[in-house]
Amino acid sequence: TMLALLGATTLMLVAGRWVLPGASGEANLKPENVEIHIIDDNFFLKWNSSSESVKNVTFSADYQILGMDNWKKLSGCQHITSTKCNFSSVELENVFEKIELRIRAEEGNNTSTWYEVEPFVPFLEAQIGPPDVHLEAEDKAIILSISPPGTKDSIMWAMDRSSFRYSVVIWKNSSSLEERTETVYPEDKIYKLSPEITYCLKVKAELRLQSRVGCYSPVYCINTTERHKVPSPENIQINADNQIYVLKWDYPYENATFQAQWLRAFFKKIPGNHSDKWKQIPNCENVTSTYCVFPREVSSRGIYYVRVRASNGNGTSFWSEEKEFNIEMKTIIFPPVISVKSVTDDSLHVSVGASEESENMSVNQLYPLIYEVIFWENTSNAERKVLEKRTNFIFPDLKPLTVYCVKARALIENDRRNKGSSFSDTVCEKTKPGNTSKTWLIVGTCTALFSIPVVIYVVSVFLRCVKYVFFPSSKPPSSVDEYFSDQPLRNLLLSTSEEQTERCFIIENASVITEIEETDEIDEVHKKYSSQTSQDSGNYSNEDENSGSKISEEFPQQDSV
Amino acid sequence: MTHRCLLQMVLLLCFSTTALPRSYSLLGLQERRSAAVSQKLLWQLPSTPQRCLEARMDFQMPEEMKQAQQFQKEDAILVMYEMLQQIFGILTRDFSSTGWSETIIEDLLVELYGQMNRLQPIQKEIMQKKNFTMGNTTVLHLKKYYLNLMYYLKSKEYNRCAWTVVRVQILTNFSFLKSLTAYLRD
Repeated sequence: TMLALLGATTLMLVAGRWVLPGASGEANLKPENVEIHIIDDNFFLKWNSSSESVKNVTFSADYQILGMDNWKKLSGCQHITSTKCNFSSVELENVFEKIELRIRAEEGNNTSTWYEVEPFVPFLEAQIGPPDVHLEAEDKAIILSISPPGTKDSIMWAMDRSSFRYSVVIWKNSSSLEERTETVYPEDKIYKLSPEITYCLKVKAELRLQSRVGCYSPVYCINTTERHKVPSPENIQINADNQIYVLKWDYPYENATFQAQWLRAFFKKIPGNHSDKWKQIPNCENVTSTYCVFPREVSSRGIYYVRVRASNGNGTSFWSEEKEFNIEMKTIIFPPVISVKSVTDDSLHVSVGASEESENMSVNQLYPLIYEVIFWENTSNAERKVLEKRTNFIFPDLKPLTVYCVKARALIENDRRNKGSSFSDTVCEKTKPGNTSKTWLIVGTCTALFSIPVVIYVVSVFLRCVKYVFFPSSKPPSSVDEYFSDQPLRNLLLSTSEEQTERCFIIENASVITEIEETDEIDEVHKKYSSQTSQDSGNYSNEDENSGSKISEEFPQQDSV
Repeated sequence: MTHRCLLQMVLLLCFSTTALPRSYSLLGLQERRSAAVSQKLLWQLPSTPQRCLEARMDFQMPEEMKQAQQFQKEDAILVMYEMLQQIFGILTRDFSSTGWSETIIEDLLVELYGQMNRLQPIQKEIMQKKNFTMGNTTVLHLKKYYLNLMYYLKSKEYNRCAWTVVRVQILTNFSFLKSLTAYLRD
C-alpha cells in the first residue's frame, strides 16, 4: 500500500505539472509580494510582477468590506502600468472595518487570477504622519501652533483629532547636544529659553492612549527675540481659602500693574486658535499688588489655565507661563473632630466626627472621606499611622494605665491629588488599669467562693473531734440507748416471736419449795409487776402475761394452801 | 429576656446593612454625577422641530450599546473613555446653525473633559497592563458609529435638523455611559 500511495502522489505531481503549463500564461501574470503602506489617509500599494516581459501588462485593484460580496474598483489603481499605485481612505469611506483588497494583472484580453491581500483594518495599520507646525518667537519662549496629521477632510484621524499630543525635540542650533524633549498641546508654548538664540525643533504626533507614535516633521528653526523691556511675572500660585481663591505671583520689580486671565482647559485639546477664549479673571485687572482675590462662585467645577502679565510705563510684558488649576483639587476639606474614650484596659475607642463648619459645607457629603489617624504613646515619639474609613473604631493591644495621644485628618478616598484636610486637634487619653490584678482578683474570689464550704466542713469536723476529746457527753452509749429505746418500740411494732423465758420448777424438797416460795415472792413481785404492767400497757406485755398466766396456773393450789 | 432582645438586635443589624447603598468609589460617584449633569445640560438645549426626527436614521450603533452587556471592568473603562472622547469631538464641531447657547455647550465640554481627565490614570494603567493591541473591537465599532454621525452632519452641512438628530443620539449615549459607571465600583 505504501508503494501504491507513493505511486499515486507522483502521478498527481506529474499531472499537475502537466496541467500547469496550460495555465501558465495566466499564472505568470499574477502579481507577487503585494505590500500595503498606509500613512494618514494615503494607501500605497506595491507589488512585483511575476512575468519577465513587462510591456503591455497592466494591473487593477478592487476592494470590499470583509463579509460583503460587493467588490468595488479602486480608482487610482485601475490599469496601472507600473508596479505601484495609491488611493485615499476617503474613497473607502470606512477605515474602522476590515477590508479586503485584490489585485490582478492584465495583458490584452488575458487577466490573471486575483491576488488577495490578507484582510486588515486600515485604522490599525495606518502610520501617523508628520504634523504641520507654525512657530512664533518671544524672548524666552516659542509659541507653537500645530495642526493634526492628515488634511482637513481626512477620515483616518477624524475621530482622534482632539486626542493627539505632540512630542517636541528642541535644541540650540549651535550645539545639537543640548536637546530637550517636551510634550505639548496643539496650541502651546515652550518656555525657559534664552533670548537671541537660534533654536531648531522637530515635532511628532502621538496617540498616547493607544501607544502609537507618528513620524517626525521636518526640522524648523527660529530665533528668539531680544530680552523684552518689561519682564513677565513668574511662579504663579493659586490657593483656595474657604470661600475665595487667592492668585499670587512673583514680580521683583517696581511700579507695575497686572492682569490675569484664565482659559477653560478643554480648549487646549482642540486644535486651532483659541486666543479669543481667554477670559479676564474678576478682580484681577489692573491690580498693583502681586496677588489678587476672587470669589469661589465664579466657578465651582472644572480645570483652568491661568496666565498673568505685567504692564508699566515701558509697555506690556509677554504672558507668564500658563499654570494649570484644578478646582476639585483645591476643594477644602475641614479637619475632623475626634473624641477618645478608654473602655477597657488594653484598648481605646476613637470616634471621628465632622467639625461644625463642615456640617454646613456640602463638600463632605459629596465625597467619601477616609481618615488618616496617627497615634502614639505620650512618652515616646514612635507614631503609628492608620487609614480608617469608619468613624468609630478601636485601637487594641495597648498597655494599661498609659496615656496615648491621637490626631486625625480627612482625605478624599481614592483621590490622592487632593491634599486633604489639616490635622485635627490632638486628644490624649489614659487607658484603664491593668488586667493582671483584675484577673487575680477574679481568681481569688472564685477560689474563695469554692473554698468556703470546704473550710466550713473541715472546721466542723475538727470541732467535733475537739468536742469528743475534751467535752465528752454524759449520755449513755448510743447502742444502749438504742436498746432501751427500741424495746417498747419493738413490742409495739412487732406482735410475736419474742423469746420466751422458760421457768423451771424443781419440786423435790422444802428448800426447794422455799426457793420456790422465794421465787414465788419474787414471782409475786414479778407478777405484781407484770400485772401492773399488764394493766398499764395492754397488749405489749405478751410475754409477761404468759409468764404471768403460767404463774397463775402453777400456783392456784398454793394460794389455796 | 436578654436573649430575645439580642436576637432582635442582630436581625436589625443584618437588615440595616443590606439596606445601605452599596459604596461606589469616589471616581464612580464623580463620573455618575458628571454624566447626570451632562444629560441635564443637553436637555436644556432647545429641541427643534419634531419633523427632523421623523426620518429614521441608522448610524449602526454598536450592539454592545443597545443591549446591556457584561463587560470586564477594564473594557468598560476603555469603552467609557472612548465614548467621552467621541462625544467631545462631535460637540467641538460647528453648531452655529442651531442657535444653541455657547455657554451650555462649553459647560458640556467642561464636564466631558473633566470625566476624561479623571479616567486617564486608570486608562493608562489598563493600557500598560494589557499591552494593548489596539484590537479592541468594541472601540472600533464605536469609532465607526461616531464616524457615521460625523459624516451625517457633514453631509447635511451641519444644519439644525442634523444636529437635532445627533443630539438625540448623544442623549442615548449618556444613558449608556451612566450604566457603565457601575463598573467603577471598589
